[in-house]
Amino acid sequence: MENIKTLYSVKKLGLILLLIGPAFALFTTFVVMPVFQGAYYSLFDWKGIGPLNDFVGVKNFVRLFGHEPFRTAIVNNLKVVLFSLLFQLPTAFFFALLIGRQKFPGAIVFRSFYFFPYVLTEIIAGVIWRFIYNPQFGFLTQLSGLIGPEKTEIAMLGNPETAFNAIFVVIFWKYIGFHMILYIAGLQGVPKDLEDAAVIDGASPLEVIWHVIIPSIRNTIMISVFLSVIGSFNVFDIVWAMGQGGPDHSTETLVTYLYNFGYKRFAFGYGSAVAIVIFFLCLVFNVLYQKYIVGDSRS
Amino acid sequence: MIFKQHFQTTRDKAIKFTIALVTAFIMFYPILVVYLGAFKSKGQINADPFGIPNPATLETMKEILGVSSSFWQMLFNSIVITGGTIAIVLILAMAAGVGLSRIQFKGRQAVFNYFIMGLLFPLTVAVLPLMLQLRTLGLTGTRLGVVMAQAAFSIPLSVFIFTGFFKEIPQELQDACDIDGGTLLTFFRHVIVPISTPVVSTVSILVFVQSWNQFLLPLLVLSDQAHYTIPLGVMQYQGQFASGWNQIMGFIAISLLPIGIFYFSMQKYVIEGLTSGAVKG
Repeated sequence: MENIKTLYSVKKLGLILLLIGPAFALFTTFVVMPVFQGAYYSLFDWKGIGPLNDFVGVKNFVRLFGHEPFRTAIVNNLKVVLFSLLFQLPTAFFFALLIGRQKFPGAIVFRSFYFFPYVLTEIIAGVIWRFIYNPQFGFLTQLSGLIGPEKTEIAMLGNPETAFNAIFVVIFWKYIGFHMILYIAGLQGVPKDLEDAAVIDGASPLEVIWHVIIPSIRNTIMISVFLSVIGSFNVFDIVWAMGQGGPDHSTETLVTYLYNFGYKRFAFGYGSAVAIVIFFLCLVFNVLYQKYIVGDSRS
Repeated sequence: MIFKQHFQTTRDKAIKFTIALVTAFIMFYPILVVYLGAFKSKGQINADPFGIPNPATLETMKEILGVSSSFWQMLFNSIVITGGTIAIVLILAMAAGVGLSRIQFKGRQAVFNYFIMGLLFPLTVAVLPLMLQLRTLGLTGTRLGVVMAQAAFSIPLSVFIFTGFFKEIPQELQDACDIDGGTLLTFFRHVIVPISTPVVSTVSILVFVQSWNQFLLPLLVLSDQAHYTIPLGVMQYQGQFASGWNQIMGFIAISLLPIGIFYFSMQKYVIEGLTSGAVKG
């Protein structure tokens, strides 16, 4: 009897290993280990080859925060966070209200057009917008010819003052559809009778939105904000395609900085320190968000 | 009175519809620009970058689709890398999902949480040590290296989705299989596989879009141009023909077709698939 039991559990263990083992191994090798290795490397001055013996402690981090382009990168990432929350998500919500409720003619078609940029390859999106922003013949330059007395070359991406805002327009365009779809899905769960009751009580459309709709889709809004912030800390492709962090490091973000100053210069220790900063920003946001925002709504 | 009300709602609807129409046009305009530009000559695109091609020329397209063009090689690489990633993720994540949902064992929740922890690690955080890891395994410069790394980063969300889905299968069905002398394998073949189409397509779509559009990873891993995927190719192509915007637009126009056709032919599933992780999570 005891033998059968052991045999059974050995068989079960084998089955568990067979089913979960491969995914576990792949995930551990290429995701978990690199993350912890990165944390370790960040404490060394290391070129990626040879022994890890130049321990520098937190010196990499001190150097980072003393480097002007790195500070620009952090400010730019925070800009993406702020602009997304202020402009992108409210606009996405507006579109969701516009086409996602009642019977809006052609809702499916509109939805697919608004969402398409999200599916588009980021690099391709960036290159298309470089064409649109082209200083010699781009959209704004043409527009200046129509409005003003003569064409003036407008170089949004060439000017460090305007370049990052121009890139944000592309980020706005690229991801708005995703958030719109989340809101549309959330709107399906708004109780119709609650809304009707508010209308009968004489509430204006804005009051209905503020007092009925927004509270009912609170969870959706929280997920949308969460994904938007985490995504904002990790933007790379679009920024890369539109200027690789330039001109003059004015459009550097954390990940382009990691590439330009870590990978390109074989500064693996230094680059890993950048990665750790990104990780901590996401983690701190995650923890605070779960604790204060998500936690608040549950109580 | 009723007339007035009726008039107002019709007017409201017309206004809303117009707003939707105008914004849809603005949203889609950049794509339109690509297809207009692809049929222009170099002179035309510089003189009139946003207008309708007059006359339209097929020269650029012919050149890009020509036999000697690098486009075909890139398309092949993209298909191999994306296909490989989807296959690995489906097999591994589905198996893990079955293990984590249908077998009772000690530490099951802990293993599940271990996978879910991966949702906290964006690719960018691990990318440098990941390169070293690939080097140790002799995978730098190979398409397999890109596939393995991409698949590994898709594991957490996929395991999460599969486990959640398989948990919903009633235990009675599995018990019935056991009584009939079947093993978990029988259960897998006769219950899980037939009902898994929606969840398999959700995961496939998620992984497809991520992998097809992935830029940073192949940029770091691949060195030989013969291995370049479409996103790398577009980036390289626009550097080479810095002055020939008609060629760049032509290249993009062709490169967009696979994902564009995929998207517009199954847009309902694609949209649901790409947002399902967030909506359910």
